[in-house]
Amino acid sequence: MTRPLDARGVRLKRGSREILRGVDLHANAGELVALMGLSGSGKTTMLRVIAGLEPRDGGEVIAAKVGMVFQFHYLFEHLCAIDNVTLAPIEVIGVSKDDARQRAQQLLDQLGVGHRANALPRELSGGEAQRVAIARALAVDPPLLLLDEPTASLDPARRNDLGEALLQLAESGRALVMTSHDDDFVREFATRVVVLANGEVVEQGDPETVLTSPKHPATRELLQLERARRGVQ
Amino acid sequence: MSGRACAIACLFTIVSLRSADAQTLRWGGDAEGGAPFVEADPRDPSKLVGFDVEIAELIAAKLGRTPQFLQVQFTSLDQSAKRGDFDIGLSGIEDIPARRQSLAASVPYYEFREVLTVRSGDRERYRSLADLKGRRVATLGGTMAYDLLLDAERTHGITAVSYDDDVHPYSDLVLGRVDAVVLDNVLADRAMRRNTGLVTHPEALAVGHYIVITAPENTALRDHVDRILRDAMRDGTLERTFRKWNVWNEDQPALYARLLSGEGTPSTQGTPGTPGTLGTLNNYLPSLLRAAVITLVLSCAAMALAVALGVLIATGRVYGDPVSRLLLTTYVEVMRGTPVLLQLFVIYYGLASVIRLPAFIAALLGLGLNYAAYESEIYRSALEAVPRGQLDAARILGFTRMQTLRLIRAPQAFRLALAPMTNDFVALLKDSSLVSMLTVVELTKQTQIFATNIGSWVIPGLLCAALYLAMSLPLGYLARRLEERWRMPTE
Repeated sequence: MTRPLDARGVRLKRGSREILRGVDLHANAGELVALMGLSGSGKTTMLRVIAGLEPRDGGEVIAAKVGMVFQFHYLFEHLCAIDNVTLAPIEVIGVSKDDARQRAQQLLDQLGVGHRANALPRELSGGEAQRVAIARALAVDPPLLLLDEPTASLDPARRNDLGEALLQLAESGRALVMTSHDDDFVREFATRVVVLANGEVVEQGDPETVLTSPKHPATRELLQLERARRGVQ
Repeated sequence: MSGRACAIACLFTIVSLRSADAQTLRWGGDAEGGAPFVEADPRDPSKLVGFDVEIAELIAAKLGRTPQFLQVQFTSLDQSAKRGDFDIGLSGIEDIPARRQSLAASVPYYEFREVLTVRSGDRERYRSLADLKGRRVATLGGTMAYDLLLDAERTHGITAVSYDDDVHPYSDLVLGRVDAVVLDNVLADRAMRRNTGLVTHPEALAVGHYIVITAPENTALRDHVDRILRDAMRDGTLERTFRKWNVWNEDQPALYARLLSGEGTPSTQGTPGTPGTLGTLNNYLPSLLRAAVITLVLSCAAMALAVALGVLIATGRVYGDPVSRLLLTTYVEVMRGTPVLLQLFVIYYGLASVIRLPAFIAALLGLGLNYAAYESEIYRSALEAVPRGQLDAARILGFTRMQTLRLIRAPQAFRLALAPMTNDFVALLKDSSLVSMLTVVELTKQTQIFATNIGSWVIPGLLCAALYLAMSLPLGYLARRLEERWRMPTE
């Protein structure tokens, strides 16, 4: 059985700067892979390459149909929540309006934002907008779901809800890849962590192991910074 | 409009500074009227020549003063005289009752006939205004001839077409845009020399006279002018001048004889009587409303064209290949960087040898093509204001570029573009007054005609402003309502 994601030796340059220097990354169905790294390590760029939003200069990406949830959600501002979710099924896949709405309502309900179906994006809180964005991505049934910094706009209680929801999605047979700098969240919910530094994978494995006893200096620096940041808060 | 007002104000300031010098006689005229009235000397354009120039010089000489010319647009001569911009005005100014009521007017110094000019091939077909039912007949606006044609609209069912100058009525007659021209014999003779293939029927449709005007309170100066003119009739000075300019004919000795024998001012013959101001208001209100409808229809149609073209241009500039982007950018820069008035002239007169567009169509195209450039810029920036992230999201969800534009980008861009579009529509509503240059009588032009005929801008100006506001205010209100409903979050 082919993996939903199998990327090998991915390279990407911007001008003379090498953003990705031969990154290998795979994800199996049922996995929630966390991509960690300092700002500028190339983790968001890697997600965009997988999604096909950035051209790569080398390597190979074999990916199933992708869904993506952006850090700033990027909901379609002129459409209410449920219309954001149904637009692609109706217009791209050709699902009937009634079926699309029914399925969208189901997704929104599952994610706990069913009651906000008719709200416009500008009326949603950050957490609500993120769930609607997840529903929108899931509505076309992608085997691979990418999430860019999904915990960035959430308070701690909401973070837990999100983690549970993501785990459920993984258990239902999807592969999930998320970028994150939140080591507590990764430790608690991710099934595997991959640490990027300067466009290279420097360390990976079970989150508990990697984050408790990091081997690579970049991982240690990352954890220190994260703790300092939380300390200040 | 404001440019002209500003220029007049500047001239006025300069002239007022000089008016301290009692030795000069400021005389107003329109050098655009051309020969044989007033024109720049072809040999020395800094000098003016023409029979009106010579008469002004004669009057100045007899008063012992130095003549000083003030350029005033023909249709503004009355208002300018009333304001006291100049001492005397002469430039083929016609003797009409409204003018005599509102200004001090001299005895007539020249008698002219309103004559009908047609294409040679129509010589037999169109012999009088009665033969021109359903046809377009041109003349110079604000003249006796125009009143004559307005009267003929009612009695003979012709369509009167008003021009701002006396050259284009005849060139458009040659082109077939109009079927006849009615103007005085002096202008007709000049046009016959310039254009071939035209014929003028000698019969007079009406008889009129040229006079000298002064400010209403300046009757003393007017009386001096009367005395000087009568002397010049008696001693042959006027005859010599008119002979020099080839406009002397047997009508003049008869006029002078009547005047000198004390018969007084001969009445203007054959023109419709001028009703009082209230009657005039009643006469003009329907035409003012009609003109407002023309303004509205023209503006809406031109805006529709501008929006449609603007969408295409903006889409091409955002999605097109480099060559089409360059072409479209050039179009936008040329249309924005040159005056719309120039564009209107080029479309109507400049292209006349290639395609003879009807005036309304030319006006619609000119305004539409010009505003398309502005609209396209609004749409382009609105399209680019939709966050890139939404376009990325759409791409991952599998939308094609066309679907993304149609379903996601354009609907949001339209909401952003609504306010600047409303602004542009109101601007277009007002810019549409420029098309009077192409003989389309819209609201501003009709107001000007109205004002010229009753000799006052107060009532026509207020009515005109009220009509423009009645068109633009509801639009602004509607746009604000839509904007509130579609209010976009600030990014």
